[in-house]
Amino acid sequence: MLPCGSDVPSRYPVRAVAAAERTLVAWCPYWPLLAVDALLDEPCAVTHANRIVTSSPVAREYGVTYGIRTRTAHQRCAELTLHVRDESREVQMFEPIVAVLDNITPRIEVLRPGTCSIVMRGPSRYFGGETKVAELVRSRMNDALAGRIDVRIGVADGPFAAELAARAAAPIRMVPSGDSASFLAPMRIEMLERPELTDVLVRLGISTFGEFASLPAADVSARFGSVGLAAHRLALGLQEHLPDSRSPALDRSAVVEIDPPADRVDRVAFMARRLADELHRRLRREGMTCVRIAVEAETEHGEQSCRLWRHEGMLSSVAIADRVRWQLDGWLNGSPACRPSGGIAKLTLVPEELIAAKGRQLGFWGDETEIDERVTRATARLQGRLGVEAVKVIECKGGRHPDEQLVLVPAATVDLRSTPTNNADSPNADSPPWPGSLPAPSPTRILDPGEPVDVFDADERPVRINGRGQISAPPHRIVAGHGKRFLVVVAWSAPWPVDERWWITGSHRRLVRIQVVTDDGVARLLALEQGRWRITALWD
Amino acid sequence: MFDTEGMVAAQTAEALNIVDRRIVDRRARLRLLGERVAPLVGAHERTLGLLEELTSLFPGGVLRRGSIVSVTGSGSTGLALAVAAGASAAGSWMAAVDDPELGWAAAAETGIVLSRVLVVDPVPEEWSYTVAALIGAVDLILVAPRRRVSDRDARRLIARTRERGSVLICRGGYWPSGIDVQLEVLSGSWQGIGEGHGLFRSRRVRVNGGGRGAASRPRSSELLLPGPTGAPVRV
Repeated sequence: MLPCGSDVPSRYPVRAVAAAERTLVAWCPYWPLLAVDALLDEPCAVTHANRIVTSSPVAREYGVTYGIRTRTAHQRCAELTLHVRDESREVQMFEPIVAVLDNITPRIEVLRPGTCSIVMRGPSRYFGGETKVAELVRSRMNDALAGRIDVRIGVADGPFAAELAARAAAPIRMVPSGDSASFLAPMRIEMLERPELTDVLVRLGISTFGEFASLPAADVSARFGSVGLAAHRLALGLQEHLPDSRSPALDRSAVVEIDPPADRVDRVAFMARRLADELHRRLRREGMTCVRIAVEAETEHGEQSCRLWRHEGMLSSVAIADRVRWQLDGWLNGSPACRPSGGIAKLTLVPEELIAAKGRQLGFWGDETEIDERVTRATARLQGRLGVEAVKVIECKGGRHPDEQLVLVPAATVDLRSTPTNNADSPNADSPPWPGSLPAPSPTRILDPGEPVDVFDADERPVRINGRGQISAPPHRIVAGHGKRFLVVVAWSAPWPVDERWWITGSHRRLVRIQVVTDDGVARLLALEQGRWRITALWD
Repeated sequence: MFDTEGMVAAQTAEALNIVDRRIVDRRARLRLLGERVAPLVGAHERTLGLLEELTSLFPGGVLRRGSIVSVTGSGSTGLALAVAAGASAAGSWMAAVDDPELGWAAAAETGIVLSRVLVVDPVPEEWSYTVAALIGAVDLILVAPRRRVSDRDARRLIARTRERGSVLICRGGYWPSGIDVQLEVLSGSWQGIGEGHGLFRSRRVRVNGGGRGAASRPRSSELLLPGPTGAPVRV
């Protein structure tokens, strides 16, 4: 079912159906890879928080796709080169590419590094048609990119549809005005990149934009709140947010004069953070929130840099400070031709697109709850104080020994807020069976490398186990703590041998384990390896 | 001519009366308003999930937010994990501070969701800072102090726990004061293992409960801890 044009007005009030502005999106594919100077004809990928962000075409053929873990990626393609994502460099390198569009239109919006958009209305009239503008943008950006990559251009109603058009482009895709909804209709709903919403929709049997668009807006709003409504408007080719009817006359910009002028980016970023805080406070008082912001910087000699930044969610003060830093990084450390001659003397933040703050529905889908936010913050705080290695999370690995089944990895390498996919909640759950591993219940304390002990039989002879796994005599007494602690064995299991990795010389392990219960009621796992007994685990 | 004095007095009395009535009126309104804006959740309802098998050990059968739970005896690790398991399964985050020997496979079998666990290993001097930073950020904090916690640190952490509504589970009897629920495992007997045959299947234990206030009435429960699958089972 596709939405027909006559349906739309009956669902939204008149002021709400304003079709989104004609927008051009220019997209540089593989941008994160280009920013780390990776070679695209080799298998390589960029990672963030231990997951793949972008992979080269060669790597994609091996199945190295977005979102998989680095270990899985290496499994699929052994010669894969991994680079850690460098977001500030991505922006810094993108700045000169965007700068070549400056004399086509002054209003360039950077959606994210590698992707920018311009509003078509002015330029298309000036240059004589949308196609001409698209071709002009493409040739200018390709010149600036010096043949490293071919930029893709999409033109449609609104930045969202235009970006999808750019991704489908070869190399230019024009979606005629008013056709955005039918252009989007056959596309998979996952393209929204809001898994918390699309997962539910797919489970409800709604897999394309067309099917989602055909739902009544009121029902979408009732079930999915403001997030769902915004997505629904996108699917219909409308503006994501209802245009605000309040008077825009009020100047809400926040300005700070920097004296003496700052020539270092971090100093400006620090000011930007305070400025952003103040702006937020003011907007919050009015019940507004900002999804697009203009950052204007002026040097003591009057040179200016102005960029628009957009964010799908809301721009927090930290996010604004980040964007100021990115923009100025690109400007102050750019090529000598466009670098300003003096320090930054004035910084202005102009909230451009304001919407009513509806708040976010926290925890509706169980992923990003307020609690997760707090955990993330506490983790960052502890990492700052104790060091990155001190705060860890658990990952399942699979293994035969209790200390091998789970591995602790620094919390910094995983995104705590993302829904865990590969982190099975019980060890060895999805993995192949490990013959010889301990059956449940697992030990509650694991001693690594283990406490050396001596095991004696009733005649005070040391207990031995021969090559066939036969015990020399029933264990009777365990002497621990260098002869200071004595434990009497009450019950014991038959020994079971483990002989693993005999095919690798260095890591061959051969040992025999028995479980024993001593008179203090504690159960222990003993291992005999290379003629020495150790307590390797306790059931406490 | 006129009894001005009397009139003034009468007027004053009436005025005072009106003021009085107004004050009473306002007080009543204020009280009404107070009732209306009072938190809908009473203190006794601020609870975390608890495994059904352990409910008989806690006053009211619930794990109250802001409480300090102390677990001692041989088998205390398993019991501490079991206390945390219900809330963890219900969506709470848990942190284990300075307890590198803890067997996380056992924790998973008890019912703890490992993807919501932080493992923090501070240097000894930062122990109290770490616990304080985690209180309020995560719902369950598992601590096993290696020496007696100083009275000053304990007071500070207790106050913070009560204010922020986390639960501090302290293993091993080094917590000096202010314990709300005190659980003690009396050593039990292992089942499934004999003399040279079998493997551990479960351990039958008796757990005694005590504490302050509502928890001071002695309680006791027989459990399989761990049970055959690792999770506790009521006998």
